[in-house]
Amino acid sequence: MKAKNNWLYSKKTVACMSFLLLLIAVVIFWLWKQYGYRDSRYESSSFAMGSFIQQTLYGAGAEETANEAASAITELENRISWRVDTSDIAAINDNAGSEWVEIQPETTELLSLCLKVAEDAEGAYDPTILPVSRLWNFDSEDPQLPSQKDLETYLPYVNYKNLRIDTEQNLASLRNHYMAIDLGSAGKGAACDTAVSIYEESEISCGIIAVGGSVGTFGQKPDGSLWEIAVRNPFSETDGETAMGVLSLEGGFLSTSGSYEKTFTKDGKTYHHLLDPKTGMPVENNLVSVTVVSDSGALSDILSTACFVLGEEKGTALLEKYGADGIFIRDDRTVSVTSGLKDAFQIAMEEFSYAE
Amino acid sequence: MRSNLFRRQDFILIFICLLVAAALFLWFSFTPSGGVALIEQDGREIGRYPLSQIKESQTLRLTGDVDVEILLEPGAVSFYSSTCPDQICVRTGKLTKPGEAAVCLPARVSIRILSPSGESEIYDGITG
Repeated sequence: MKAKNNWLYSKKTVACMSFLLLLIAVVIFWLWKQYGYRDSRYESSSFAMGSFIQQTLYGAGAEETANEAASAITELENRISWRVDTSDIAAINDNAGSEWVEIQPETTELLSLCLKVAEDAEGAYDPTILPVSRLWNFDSEDPQLPSQKDLETYLPYVNYKNLRIDTEQNLASLRNHYMAIDLGSAGKGAACDTAVSIYEESEISCGIIAVGGSVGTFGQKPDGSLWEIAVRNPFSETDGETAMGVLSLEGGFLSTSGSYEKTFTKDGKTYHHLLDPKTGMPVENNLVSVTVVSDSGALSDILSTACFVLGEEKGTALLEKYGADGIFIRDDRTVSVTSGLKDAFQIAMEEFSYAE
Repeated sequence: MRSNLFRRQDFILIFICLLVAAALFLWFSFTPSGGVALIEQDGREIGRYPLSQIKESQTLRLTGDVDVEILLEPGAVSFYSSTCPDQICVRTGKLTKPGEAAVCLPARVSIRILSPSGESEIYDGITG
């Protein structure tokens, strides 16, 4: 038999073919690693707590896990929203000035956290803001500018020191009639905690949830890359750009408080929803947005509100106390970042710059 | 006389390589360019519209407690009108790039621009 008719079996061809097959295998493996995991990716959007909820989950059982998390958030809302008649918070508010109310352990835990930050922030954050925030009614279709008289009448009822909690027996009480709790500035972050605790017990490999402006991450992305989370541009309405910067994080929770979120204009003056518990008026400092990164969702949410009210200097000190980090954006488009985020944060728009 | 440099089997190998290259090229060129607008109501998908494939402006009406009109035009999508009180969705303006999003909370309608593959976005999430 002549060798040239039998080329298929020649050593050289076998070697070439093997090499080619190996090459194809490497290319396919690379493509699979790059794009393959996305097959197991599941996206879900829903609404709760007056917010848009977005979940992106990877891995087995993603759809069921997303549904489970969404209903757990609705359950949380039914437990901590003062608007829900049967909630723990509504029960405490209804019995203000009279009875101690039995609440669920999770509510006790959240209220304790709120009180702790309120104390450390010296009242710049106050969970008993409802008597005053109700006057403004920012969550409604028709927010109001309260009269000075009304503010003076209701401000004395805003005082976290008169919210008492019995952590052993899960009891809570407001000392005075007319007092009332509003957990609006903790709820979205707490919802991220709730979702992530469900992810932890599920079979999914990793996931991310956004409830309004709060974000929670679970696990590591399949390709090993960091979670890339955009920070909203406070001036997006005029700029047309949504993201002013990007945070690359291994994990954790983030929340942002921005004066651009809920506003109304009356007689040429714009009012935003971040109220100073001491004056009952929207905070007026040079800040437009504060983003807080923490290992707890509820804490990130509460701290972002507290830091906005406190301002940058005192806010940074508060963050240090909780081992959290933050991004402060001022109205002149300068940005400050606490030390823990120096490498993780990058400005994405040339209109923004770091403060001196 | 045959060349010593190339034999018949070498040409077959080169041919196979070219074939693989062509297949890869076709695969990548078939993924559409530009973003894909994903419109959802109450968390349910209403439709996916590749922005580059919209040739003429058209409006999409979604009715419910709050009615919205979504304007689909070549390369952009936006809330054209809404009967909601806050009008935040309309003020968000036109969405053109992957990663951008607009939401009408009262109508529970969202528009998101996904990247060309219709899946991955530039960011994993947004805060604020």
